[in-house]
Amino acid sequence: MSENAKILPLIPLSEGLFIIPESASSQPCLLASACRNCGEVHFPRRETNECPQCQMPELEDIQLSGAGATIAAFTVVQQKPAGGFYHGEVPFAYGFVDLPEGVRVQTLFKGDFNALKIGEKADLAIGDICQDNEGRTVVTYMFEQVPTEG
Amino acid sequence: MKSLSQMRDVLIAGVGMTRWGSFAERTCHEIGGEAIRNTLADAQMGLGDVQAVFSGSVYQGTGAGHQAVKEIGLTGVPIVNVENACSSTASALRLAYQSVAAEIYDVVLVLGMEKMPRGPIPSTAFPDWKLKHGFNMQPSNYALITQQYMHKTGASSEDISLVTVKNRQNGSLNPNARFQAPVSLEEVMASRMVSTPLQLLHCSPLADGAVGIIVSSRDKLKNAEKPVTIAASVLTSALYGDEYGPGDLVGSLKYPPAENFAELSARGAYEEAGIGPEDIDVAQVYDAVAAGELWDIEELGLCPEGEAPARLRRGEFNLGGRIPVNTDGGLMARGHPLGATAGGQIYELVLQLREKAEKRQVSDARIGLAHAMGAGGNSAVTILKA
Repeated sequence: MSENAKILPLIPLSEGLFIIPESASSQPCLLASACRNCGEVHFPRRETNECPQCQMPELEDIQLSGAGATIAAFTVVQQKPAGGFYHGEVPFAYGFVDLPEGVRVQTLFKGDFNALKIGEKADLAIGDICQDNEGRTVVTYMFEQVPTEG
Repeated sequence: MKSLSQMRDVLIAGVGMTRWGSFAERTCHEIGGEAIRNTLADAQMGLGDVQAVFSGSVYQGTGAGHQAVKEIGLTGVPIVNVENACSSTASALRLAYQSVAAEIYDVVLVLGMEKMPRGPIPSTAFPDWKLKHGFNMQPSNYALITQQYMHKTGASSEDISLVTVKNRQNGSLNPNARFQAPVSLEEVMASRMVSTPLQLLHCSPLADGAVGIIVSSRDKLKNAEKPVTIAASVLTSALYGDEYGPGDLVGSLKYPPAENFAELSARGAYEEAGIGPEDIDVAQVYDAVAAGELWDIEELGLCPEGEAPARLRRGEFNLGGRIPVNTDGGLMARGHPLGATAGGQIYELVLQLREKAEKRQVSDARIGLAHAMGAGGNSAVTILKA
């Protein structure tokens, strides 16, 4: 049984937000759109090619490595959100990270919530949310604060 | 485009409210009907005088305004339901104001009403992926803005708690408020954490309630109250780069808005009224969370950026202070029936400008401002003059 559990695929919480690395050596990335006209970057990737900043049909798909992210804001949520859409653990932490590509990304945080601090660096990771009805692990993109040296 | 200030004056002919609270046994249209009755009585008018109805609500479904009007009678006049989140009634008032200013109608009823679901606010204003990630916890989105405000200004948790203490004190003087018992600083600071840094008593309580406002041309005024004129009614919606507003949490790093939509709507309202923030005698600002009152006071230009916490401590925003803010208890004490909230702010301004606010009366109040934000987003600023 445990052998079977290992080969069950990871299920993305939402389609079209991120790519799950295929092997332990590869890295996850976020799916985004960049505007050839005004340079604006949008996360998540937009379904149509109109840029809501300049209203020109000039968007192209890009991938964001998540490298160099800085924490812009976070909150540790102590109760379950309304509506029954969220199936992860409570408490949980979410907020925003700023990427060097010039885009602010809304994200869940992984790791020690009590250590989170505005201005600290964070790395993109894939983290578990819950199990689906078939016992498969549902995952999504998250950022984890980089421990400060010393 | 023609400026509203070039058209005829529009006045408040009557206002009416219900108690705001938790009324499990009453339907929303019953509550709305009570507000219409109270409003007509104040205006000394009958439903037959009303030529159109604009009704604000968020959660009441199809034809909510029609259901409320049916409580009183049916006259065939147009009823338009307005859903603009927490600025619904301000948006409905703006439509009424424009239609009377443009001489399409002489007497228009504005209604705001809500019966709230219990617990954290459910919202369809979020896409599916955000719902699945838990990004729809409403106090949490305000918590992120609060954290940024504290980071930028050095405001403390105690500063935020003092807003609750002030507004609950004001609410204790308001017989329509949901919460009429004052709270101590210690009680606020000991309340449970909801979403860091916001604690339970930093969050406005949801409520059921309704409010009515009749606007008219000057010649249609019937009651003997001091006349109150709409000096400005401005709505700014969905501004690029400001999608996480209010506050400074911009959505775009490359194209942040030069002014956020609260600042834009305030500037527009001051221009329309031909006044500046220094002319405001009393203000109802948007305290959906206690910290919101601090950044809103600053964004409305009522004090310099970053100074609201220190000025709050000095008593500038208390009843009797330099510019009393949220004199009826604000959202923190009056309660927050989403679609009705902006109307509750207008109701309080009208009482203040008529000098009928009793124990809450601001002396010599001649110009009042109300500001309501709303998901979507929306920012509505209304200025009234006695």
